[in-house]
Amino acid sequence: MTAAQTQTGGPPAIRLRNITKSFGKGRAAVHALRGIDMDVASNQLVMLVGPSGCGKTTLVSIISGVLDADTGTAEVFGVNWPDLSGAAKTKRRGELVGFVFQQFNLIPMLSVVENVAMPLLVRGEPMDRALDRAAAELNGVGLGDRVTARPAELSGGMQQRVAIARALVGRPRLLICDEPTANLDGHTGQHVMDLIKTASRGKAGDEKTDGRCVVVVTHDARIFHYADHIEEMEDGKLKSPSKVILEEARHVPHYDREANGETNGNGGATDKTK
Amino acid sequence: MNRIAIKMLLGDRAKYLSLVFGLAFAVLLITQQGSIFLGLMLRATGILQNIAQPDLWIADPHSEYIGDIRPLDDHDLYRVRSVPGIAWASPLFATRARVDLPDGRHKTAQLLGIDRSTLIGQPPLMLEGRLEDLRQPDAVIIEESSRSKLGGVGVGDVLKLNDQRAVIVGICRAKMGFESNATMYTTYNNALQFTPVGRERMSFILAKVKEGVPIQRVQDTINGMTDLAAFTHDGMSDRTINFILKETGIGINFGLTVALGFVVGLVISAATFYQFTLENLRHFAVLKAIGATTATLIRMVILQALVVGLIGYGIGVGIAGAFSLLGRKPGAELAVYFPWELMVGALASMILTVSAGSVLSLRRVITLEPAVVFK
Repeated sequence: MTAAQTQTGGPPAIRLRNITKSFGKGRAAVHALRGIDMDVASNQLVMLVGPSGCGKTTLVSIISGVLDADTGTAEVFGVNWPDLSGAAKTKRRGELVGFVFQQFNLIPMLSVVENVAMPLLVRGEPMDRALDRAAAELNGVGLGDRVTARPAELSGGMQQRVAIARALVGRPRLLICDEPTANLDGHTGQHVMDLIKTASRGKAGDEKTDGRCVVVVTHDARIFHYADHIEEMEDGKLKSPSKVILEEARHVPHYDREANGETNGNGGATDKTK
Repeated sequence: MNRIAIKMLLGDRAKYLSLVFGLAFAVLLITQQGSIFLGLMLRATGILQNIAQPDLWIADPHSEYIGDIRPLDDHDLYRVRSVPGIAWASPLFATRARVDLPDGRHKTAQLLGIDRSTLIGQPPLMLEGRLEDLRQPDAVIIEESSRSKLGGVGVGDVLKLNDQRAVIVGICRAKMGFESNATMYTTYNNALQFTPVGRERMSFILAKVKEGVPIQRVQDTINGMTDLAAFTHDGMSDRTINFILKETGIGINFGLTVALGFVVGLVISAATFYQFTLENLRHFAVLKAIGATTATLIRMVILQALVVGLIGYGIGVGIAGAFSLLGRKPGAELAVYFPWELMVGALASMILTVSAGSVLSLRRVITLEPAVVFK
């Protein structure tokens, strides 16, 4: 699938060829991915959608280099994950990829700013500098006044914004978001998606984030309209053509309309703990 | 990342405290039980603790420990004195005597008869009275904790010792023996009067080797006399402790208690630390996903283990040390000996404990799939 590539004409940021992945052996084997081919261009926000168990999370795990495919090629900005192993892969992943998780995955014992500084610290950056950069990143997501708070003192929306700041502080070229709005109310989800959408454009003049692309795994139809491109999955395969979903998404009530008092059937109370 | 590892450790107070106290408890069990065991063994050496002057203790060759006395003949003293390299040799008489108390009860006392002229074998420290007064007829010096055992007696009081008159001329401080009897010093001649015995009367011959002469050589010469055996202070001490360990069952019984304390402490601590790492596994997975290498995570886990280990060790040894102070009080019934070797042993045990916990934890960290962060 090269639709995204043809839109920009440049080399794909993500290039997957014949990706397969199974869990278990013999009769008990589950074939999570069955020959995925996919290209994602730079500067794109791509959504992976589909029913539970269709292989979305397995696919983003392979794209982000946290899981090895059984077969195939998984290239991200020219780095072919299967060519790397061990510490080299981990180090490259730390430089290339930022993560936003459904469960936030913040470390509760650390302050907000220390959580955000973590990607810099694992690269060996001095603590003071890492904390300064983390504080600046928190400022960017509107949490500059909560740097010393513990994650448990923040609302769900705030925690997700902290997670976004953590994902972005290392200036990754690829941002992986796994159900980033699943645990959030409508208003907060919109705010989070606005931040992710902004992040997908990279920072002007910043070579490292130039051409950044974002892959979002989601079930939340209210955020489909943020996507530049949507890939639908079913039974470990990509469905085609995916443009249909994007077109359908235009008719799904989303956060903007929710904020204007329109119903969407998906709940949408504001985050009162915020 | 060291700072982060420490913050992760200290950040969860409940887990951190349970870890530290688990380890402290383990170290406390090991050191406290160990110090009591050593204290008992030391007490088993009895009079050896209080008599430091001689290089050699000469006894019957079949004597298995310090309390296993087969009296020596008076001639043996002269034979020892004639051995080349001997500077001096003095008799020592050690026996038990009965003290009748005014209220009708009686107490068993350890009676030590020392050489009248040299007073070799004298008590380590005089608290009341003069040592020289021991040369008076019927004179005895009693150890300070014996005062209460003998009904609160003091200097000038008269005791009925083996049905004979004994006058207390001084109070001394000396280490207690295994049986915690009242301890009394008198002269060799007085002791013979208090406890009439036959031709063979001496319990030990205490001998000093001339300066510059190898003790081993003199010891070999004495051992060459078929009916005498010479032991150094440490040699007699080891012989006594070995006897207690092998022949009395104290070794196996107490050893089992110490071993049980060690195993319980080890299991509790290792399991608690393993649980701690297990509960942090997701956080480690996140760190791995965002670029922390396995080596970094291993360093973090080891650092956390060392920190809780050393803090737990400090607390455990501190409490055991404070406990041992009770045993250092003069006349304390509690037998405690707390040498530096015990602290080193406890440190080694603590390192073993946290290593065991770390190895278990590290296996999970090393094999950790960062993909679990998506679950």
